[in-house]
Amino acid sequence: MSGLPSESSRRRSVQRTVTGYLFLSPAIVFYLIFLIIPVGMSVYISFRKWNMLVPLSSSTFIGLKNYQDLFRDELFLCAVKNTLIWAIGTVFLGMLIALVIALLILNIRWAPFWRFLVFAPVVTPLVAVARIWGSGIYKTSGGMLNSILAMWQLPPQHWLADSRIALFSIMSVAIWASIGSTVIVFTAGLKGIPDEYYQAAKIDGASPWHEFRHVTLPLLRPTILFLSVTGLIGAWQAFDLVFQMGAGGTQSGVSAVKAIILLNVYLYQTAFQNLRMGRATAGAFVLFLIILCFTFVVLRVLREGGVESYE
Amino acid sequence: MKRALTIALCLLVVMVLATGGTQAAKTRLVLQTHWSDFQLEGVVDENGKLVSKGLRQYVEEYMKLKPDVEIELQSVPMEEYLQKILVSRSAGVSPDIYIIRSLWGVQLEDSGIIESPPPALIEDVKKNYVPAAVEGATINGKIMGIPVEVGNYCLVYNKAHLAEKGYKAPPNTWDEMVDMASKLTVRDKTGAITRYGFSFLAGWDSAVVHPFLGLLWDMGGEYLSPDYKKSLLNSPEGIKALEAELELFRTGGTDISGSVWEFPQQKVSMIIMASWYENSLKQGLGADYEKVVGVAPIPKVNKNINAMYTFFATVDSGSRHKKEAWDFLAWFTAEETANKTTRLGDLMVETIGSVPARKTDLENHPKDLQDLYTKTFIDELKNAKHEPNMAQAAEINTILMQEIVEAWHGSKTAKQALDDATKKINAILAEYY
Repeated sequence: MSGLPSESSRRRSVQRTVTGYLFLSPAIVFYLIFLIIPVGMSVYISFRKWNMLVPLSSSTFIGLKNYQDLFRDELFLCAVKNTLIWAIGTVFLGMLIALVIALLILNIRWAPFWRFLVFAPVVTPLVAVARIWGSGIYKTSGGMLNSILAMWQLPPQHWLADSRIALFSIMSVAIWASIGSTVIVFTAGLKGIPDEYYQAAKIDGASPWHEFRHVTLPLLRPTILFLSVTGLIGAWQAFDLVFQMGAGGTQSGVSAVKAIILLNVYLYQTAFQNLRMGRATAGAFVLFLIILCFTFVVLRVLREGGVESYE
Repeated sequence: MKRALTIALCLLVVMVLATGGTQAAKTRLVLQTHWSDFQLEGVVDENGKLVSKGLRQYVEEYMKLKPDVEIELQSVPMEEYLQKILVSRSAGVSPDIYIIRSLWGVQLEDSGIIESPPPALIEDVKKNYVPAAVEGATINGKIMGIPVEVGNYCLVYNKAHLAEKGYKAPPNTWDEMVDMASKLTVRDKTGAITRYGFSFLAGWDSAVVHPFLGLLWDMGGEYLSPDYKKSLLNSPEGIKALEAELELFRTGGTDISGSVWEFPQQKVSMIIMASWYENSLKQGLGADYEKVVGVAPIPKVNKNINAMYTFFATVDSGSRHKKEAWDFLAWFTAEETANKTTRLGDLMVETIGSVPARKTDLENHPKDLQDLYTKTFIDELKNAKHEPNMAQAAEINTILMQEIVEAWHGSKTAKQALDDATKKINAILAEYY
C-alpha cells in the first residue's frame, strides 16, 4: 500500500516532465532547424572545399586549410582592419555625437522638432542614402563637399576613390544615417535620471561639467552599455551601406575597394563571387569570435563601477 | 437557385480543370540572361511603337510557332549572375537555358552544371562561327554552348573635344594618347578635373583587366603559361604594360575618380570600350551622337591587339526539357531567316548593338555592322585575342583588377602590384592545374 502513492506521484512527475517538453518542443524544433543545425553545418563546411555548385557530399575535407588561407589572404586582413576601424568609429564616435545632440535637444526649444530632424535619416532607405551621398555630396567633380572646399580655395578630394579617406567618408554617412536612433535612446536615458540628483549636486556647488561627469555619465552607464553592445554587434555585421557605396565593385566606378572592404562584404564575395563556401564559412566563425570578444570586453569595462541591471 | 449554383460550380470546376490541363501539357522553359531593359523588351520610339525587337519578342514568336512551349525570361544583373546560378541550383529551381560569360565556363563545366550541345549544333558552331568565338565557347577542350556575342575593345573618342584642341585624328600610338589625354583634360580653378582627357573605370574587373591585357599582349607579354600553371603577369612586358597605364595618371590625363560612364555626358574625351556600348551612347548623346562619337583601334605600343570575351548560350544539365531547350536555341541562333541572318544575329546587331559571332550574321548586316561605331570593332576582330578560360577565372580577374587599381592609386609600384597579383594567382592555379 505504501508504494502506491509514490508510484502515482512518479507517474505524475513523468507526465509533468513530458508535458513540459511537449510545450517546449515548438521552440526546441525552431532552434534546432534555424540555429543548431545551421551552426553545425557551418562548422562542417568550414573544414571542406566546396563551391556550392556541386552537392555538399562531393566536397573535399581539407582540415584547417580554409582557416590558414584566410589568415594568409591580404584582403581578409584588410577587411578585419577596416571593420575594426568601422566598429570603433561608427559606434563610439557616433555615441559621442549622439550624446552631445541629445543633451542639446533636451535643453532647447522645439525639442520634438529637432528630434524628428535628427531621426529622419534613420527612416530613409540606405540605398537612397548611398545614392545621395555617393553621386551628389561626395562626387569629385561638382559634388557638394568639393564645391564647399572650392569656396575656401581648397583642393578637391576624391572622397570615395582615395584609399586614404574613402573608409572615413562612408563611416561619416553611416554615423549620419544611424545617429537618430542613438539620440532617441540617449534622450530616454537622460530623462530617466531623477532631478533630485542634479539639485543635490547644485547644492553641493557642482559646475555643469561636474554634474555631467559625476551624475549624468554614471547614470547613463546602462544606456551606454546597451548602445555599445548592440552597436558593436551591428557594426561588425555592417554590409549594405559600404556595398552600395562601392565595395560591391562591379560598375560602381569606386576604385578604393580594398580600402573600404568590410568583413561581411569579404564573406559575401568569397562565398558568392569566388565560390569558396568553405573559406567564407571559416571567415564567418572568425567574425563570430571577434564579436564575442568585443562584447565580452565591453561588458567587462562597463560593469566595472556597477551597472547593476546588467549583472 | 440551388440548381443554378450547382451548374455554376460545375462550370467553374470544368474551366479550372481545362486550364490546368492545358498548362500541364505545356513545356515550360526558363531562360536566364544578363540582358535587361531594351535588350529584353525591344527599342520603342517616342510614341511607344516598337522600333527593334528585344529578346521577349523573339521568344513570343517562338511560342506562337510552338504553342506547347512556354518560355519565361529571367533577367539577372551581370555581377549577380554567377551567384544566381549557384543559389538556384542549391534551391533546385535552376533555369533551363543560360546565356553566360565564357569566363565562368570551366567552373560550371567542372561542376557538371552545363552540358554540351547536341552533335548537330556542335558541327554548326565549328563550321559557322568565327574562330575566336568557337575558342570562347570551348571549355576544357569541348564546345559547351552556342556563341552569342563576341566582345572586343576599341578606343572611343569625342571628335568635338579632339577638334577643339586641334587634333584631326585619334591617337595612333600609346604615347600619342598619353600626350593628348593630358592636353584634353580640363580642370577648374581648384584643380579638379571637370573633363577627363582619358578615363578608365575602376571597380569593374572587365573594364580594368581587358584594357590591361590588350597592352600586355601588345608588349609581347602573356597572362598565363600555356598549361595554365603559372601567371606570367610580372614579366618585364607586364610591368611595362602597367607602367604605360600609369603614365596617363602621372601626366594628368586621368585620375582615380574617372569613369567611362561619363562619356555620354561629354565629360570624358577618350575611353577604351567594348562594342555593346553603342546603344547607350546613342541614347545618351541623342542628336549629337554622330557629331561626337569616333572609334579607332586601341593606340598601340608595338602592334595592334585587343582583348576579347565571349558569351555563349547553353542548357542546364539538370533541365527536364533539354531537347526543347536546345530546339529553341537552334531556332534562335542557327536557323536563318529570309535575310540570311539568324534571329539572335538580328537581336545582337539591331537592338543590343553588339557584335554577333556567326559568320552569316557578320556578313549580312552590312548597314548596322559597317556604321560609324561597330565597323572598327569588326575590323579589329582580326587583332583580337581571347581572354583565357581558366578555373576560378572570376576570382583571378578580381585579384588582377585589385592589384592594378592599387598601382593606379599609387599604393604600389607596377612591379609590386604585378608581383602580388602573380603570387595570389599562382596559389589559385596550383589548386586546379
